[in-house]
Amino acid sequence: MNHVEEQLLKEKKRIDSITAPEEMEARLRNALNGAARSRTRWMSPVWRIAAVALFLLVIFGYHYNAFAYYGKKLLGFDELISGTRLQELNEQGMGQPVGKQATLTDGTELTIDGIMADANQLVMYYTLRNPKGIKEDGSRLFWPSKFSGFLTSSNLESSVSLPNEEHTEIKGTMFFEPVSPFAKKLTLHYYETDANNQLIEHSISFPYDPNQAILTQIKYPIHRKIKVDQGVLNFQSITATPSMTMIKGTLNVDNFDRLPLGLSGIELIANGESVEMIGSGHSSAPGGRKFDLRYDALPKPLESLELVIQEFIGYRQLDQRLPLASAGEEPFFLADKELWVKKVAVTSQGVEIMIATGDDILLDGVSVEALGEATSLRTTVGQIETELDDGTVLKERTLLFDTRVKPEYLYIKGMHYIKAYNEAIEIPVD
Amino acid sequence: MNAVRYVKKAKKGNKEALLQLIMAEKDDYYRLALTYMGNSHDAMDAMEEMIVRLYENIGQLKKAESFYSWSRTILVNSCKALLRKRQQLVLLDDAGADGRSAAEHAPPGDPYRYTDQQMDIRQMLLHLNEQQQEAIQLKYWHDLDYQTIAEMTNVPVGTVKSRIFQGLKKLRELYGGEADESR
Repeated sequence: MNHVEEQLLKEKKRIDSITAPEEMEARLRNALNGAARSRTRWMSPVWRIAAVALFLLVIFGYHYNAFAYYGKKLLGFDELISGTRLQELNEQGMGQPVGKQATLTDGTELTIDGIMADANQLVMYYTLRNPKGIKEDGSRLFWPSKFSGFLTSSNLESSVSLPNEEHTEIKGTMFFEPVSPFAKKLTLHYYETDANNQLIEHSISFPYDPNQAILTQIKYPIHRKIKVDQGVLNFQSITATPSMTMIKGTLNVDNFDRLPLGLSGIELIANGESVEMIGSGHSSAPGGRKFDLRYDALPKPLESLELVIQEFIGYRQLDQRLPLASAGEEPFFLADKELWVKKVAVTSQGVEIMIATGDDILLDGVSVEALGEATSLRTTVGQIETELDDGTVLKERTLLFDTRVKPEYLYIKGMHYIKAYNEAIEIPVD
Repeated sequence: MNAVRYVKKAKKGNKEALLQLIMAEKDDYYRLALTYMGNSHDAMDAMEEMIVRLYENIGQLKKAESFYSWSRTILVNSCKALLRKRQQLVLLDDAGADGRSAAEHAPPGDPYRYTDQQMDIRQMLLHLNEQQQEAIQLKYWHDLDYQTIAEMTNVPVGTVKSRIFQGLKKLRELYGGEADESR
């Protein structure tokens, strides 16, 4: 043991020999007797309740509109508003007039005429005016990125605009992600291009009244999973407002992007009739993809609502060996799908096989067999689509294999195809 | 004695139960207070302060089992508060400037008087910063484990370990293993 620790231990022994003085008990008892358990440190329950009540009163009082809005939405006591199109809504005075103006760098006058907000989107109506004429279509001139505000950051999603004949005025609408009902003020952030083609960011603010936002017709959780061949679709919620109907969910499907189908085969059926799909989108998210489906507004009164997965990408295991010797005018059948082998040739590139199928098929695990030896596909080239007289579209392409031996068989492990699932999810309406 | 039962009684406002809890380990408390305060008189003041604070705040003690580490923390805080009040920032600062003044002020018969040997180790500790001193004293003189020291001084366990390690290292550098005069 070294010197330092030895010294410390020695001192410890000495300290251990110290005992508390005899009078300690008496002094402590004395001190205790003088002590009262302090009540003032503990707020009495009445005051605590009063403080909480005051706090809530201030918060809810200030945000009364927002809570009323949310309350109605969540409880579903929405006073349903008639009309299904933006135009109709506008005619009904559902917009909030704004009337804010700004001048852009080239002298063009920007007017934000008004906005129309609901739980699915915010629509901004604007006008660009310049008596000297507006160059281009104005989109480079005035280029909004997002709205910001309390608990709000809403990106631009799409826009439509139309110039007048003299090109001195452009009127347009821009669609943004929905804004928070807590926002009392909105700030539009936009870029404009100056003479040197530099982007300059500007912003313009105006008050927003969430109380005037259009009420939501229905908002339900769906929470239904649909199994597809190579994964699962998870429908999470539906929010219907008089301007549109949005369905959100996640998907985790391995072969989702193998065919250009996306989510267009999912239909929303209201009162027995299909609701027009406005669009759909998906983005990668942890553990899969997030998607949204946008449909037109729902009819009124709403009696039934059903989401039908008509078509979605599927996968079929085939393990088929097609004898190339018998290739000709007659197609081979992959399950019930046709496949034509149009040409088999051995070139300096290797073996080339030209095939044609319907445009809803992507072959998987393709190889050729010759003399008992298999060569897998190197690449596919020269894809063209031809429309036949009866309207069917054929997809023609040439498969390349790294071998010089004329193959006997074309082996196909499986195919990605557009499959009719016809699964329906009923959404309760009340 | 069944400490947990006494703690429960004390939580209901039983002053005698609280007193018995302290008296059961009175020597430990006293030694701890003495280390911080340096003399019996101030140590007793700190003890009084502690028991009043314990009584006032025992309602906030969540786990009866941790009464002893909780009460020690309060004692240490009481000591520090008193020291601040008296502007005695470091135990032996005065003694360091005037080696005998503290000893002279100590009441006769006080076992905590500074004898030569005590001065030795206490003088050595003065070369460390306050936190290192405190951590080493709590560990070596009061047999407290790292976790308890961490709670009492309101820092992470790792910090306590590092303070002790760095403190000892510095002491060894200053005083070496064998040679007392290496300085």
